Amino acid sequence: MDDGFAEYVAHRHLRLCRMAYLLTRDWGTAEDVVQTALAKAWLAWRRIEGDPDPYVYRIIVNTHASWWRRRWRGEVPAATLPETADPRDPAAEVDDQAALWSAIGTLSPRQRAVIVLHYFEGRTLTQVAEIVGCSPGAVKSQLSRALTRLRVDPDIQSMTLEGVRR
Amino acid sequence: MSYTESDLRELLNDHGHGRAGREPSAHLDAIVRRGRRIRRTRRAVTAGTALAFAAVAAAGLTGLLPAGAQRGEGVAVAQRPVDSARVVTLGPELPRTIPVVLGAPKFDLGLIHSRRFETVGAGQKVTFTPTSVYTGFSVVCDDPRALVVYRQRGRSDEPTGGSGRCGGSISGHNDKMSVPSDWLKRPQSLEVWVFPADAPVRKVAEAVNGCRPRDEKCDESAQIAALANPEVRRRLSALVGEQPGRWAVGIYDRPAPAQAPTASASPTAGPSVAPTASASPTAGPSVAPTASASPTAGLSVAPTASASPAVAPTASASPAVAPTASASASKP
Repeated sequence: MDDGFAEYVAHRHLRLCRMAYLLTRDWGTAEDVVQTALAKAWLAWRRIEGDPDPYVYRIIVNTHASWWRRRWRGEVPAATLPETADPRDPAAEVDDQAALWSAIGTLSPRQRAVIVLHYFEGRTLTQVAEIVGCSPGAVKSQLSRALTRLRVDPDIQSMTLEGVRR
Repeated sequence: MSYTESDLRELLNDHGHGRAGREPSAHLDAIVRRGRRIRRTRRAVTAGTALAFAAVAAAGLTGLLPAGAQRGEGVAVAQRPVDSARVVTLGPELPRTIPVVLGAPKFDLGLIHSRRFETVGAGQKVTFTPTSVYTGFSVVCDDPRALVVYRQRGRSDEPTGGSGRCGGSISGHNDKMSVPSDWLKRPQSLEVWVFPADAPVRKVAEAVNGCRPRDEKCDESAQIAALANPEVRRRLSALVGEQPGRWAVGIYDRPAPAQAPTASASPTAGPSVAPTASASPTAGPSVAPTASASPTAGLSVAPTASASPAVAPTASASPAVAPTASASASKP
């Protein structure tokens, strides 16, 4: 494989698995999704121009969505999120994280993909739109709904972190 | 409680990196193998679709031509693809009947519904309307070494079923002790998975639960038993993907009462002509008889062929596990 595919796999496999894990929430499934995505990318490798990441991300997102539709899922979406007693309590922080992680699990595959691509992969909303195959407006709408569901207030931002990223 | 975007980023980073020391390794060979498999499947599906189109086009042409012309030279050309389409429908033959082997009355169950599939590796659901409590099934495969798993709802609503090498066919039937109480009241379904003979069951079973419950050797019978685990099936299905491989499933039942209103109430009719290009999970109800026959005496789910899973009656009235050399029945 002298056309860069092997190097790409060696370089990006772990990162892709991590991204897929955040979508699937299961390492075994994540590896399966990534292997499927890379296999499909291998078939089209010579036709991919430029950075293959968006193409591979797109396959991962679509594969996850189709598997999600097709298969029974052990997780049961909760209508309400567990409330914690005191947000300043250090023990409560762990609960908060668990609640947020659990809430991410209740998002639709598309919403989860938007969240992961934007906040984990650091992709702009335009790039996210290209990857998931819809308009930037639709991505903004999905993101807004997802954040509302996660109770993430985009107006409350850590200035340092946001400053570094932008 | 509200979160910030930074909370969200931090959480995603924590979880995304939360597998220290057990990072998945890239297996280029496996990726390329899977790529080749996908290509083979795509080609097979493309070829099947082309043949189906040819058949439809030919059928349309034949129908449009004047009756006299149909005996002419041109028609012979138009008819050729119809023969080609017949090639597509060829595959393992379903038996026209299966015998009830347990219980006092001995009789045959006729084919009431069938589905054919061109690929293996994914689960398929067949929905049908039973006409009696003896409803049976038969799975036939092109490759006798293919692995078959089947599942249906048991008497207490728990899933029951079995698994084994196809061996030509795997079949069985119910009786009043094995079916759930609403068996005759609504459409029922049977789920069937057919995996390629060389599917890496052992690898998946060991990864899921160490190939329990049989033994540490994880031999053939342990691997077949492991297929009862839905997680093993899910991962195996994801791993092997869909591959070309023909198989069919038939549903068998007693004839519906004579006053049954539907024309399809005669289950002794020959094998039905099911769609042959379908590789997607089946969901729609079948055209099986809708009238229900009154249940008569009978006993238990039983094997109907040498390769069938042997299932004996139990006190709990649900099929018990009695593995044979090539198949095992189980409750997951």
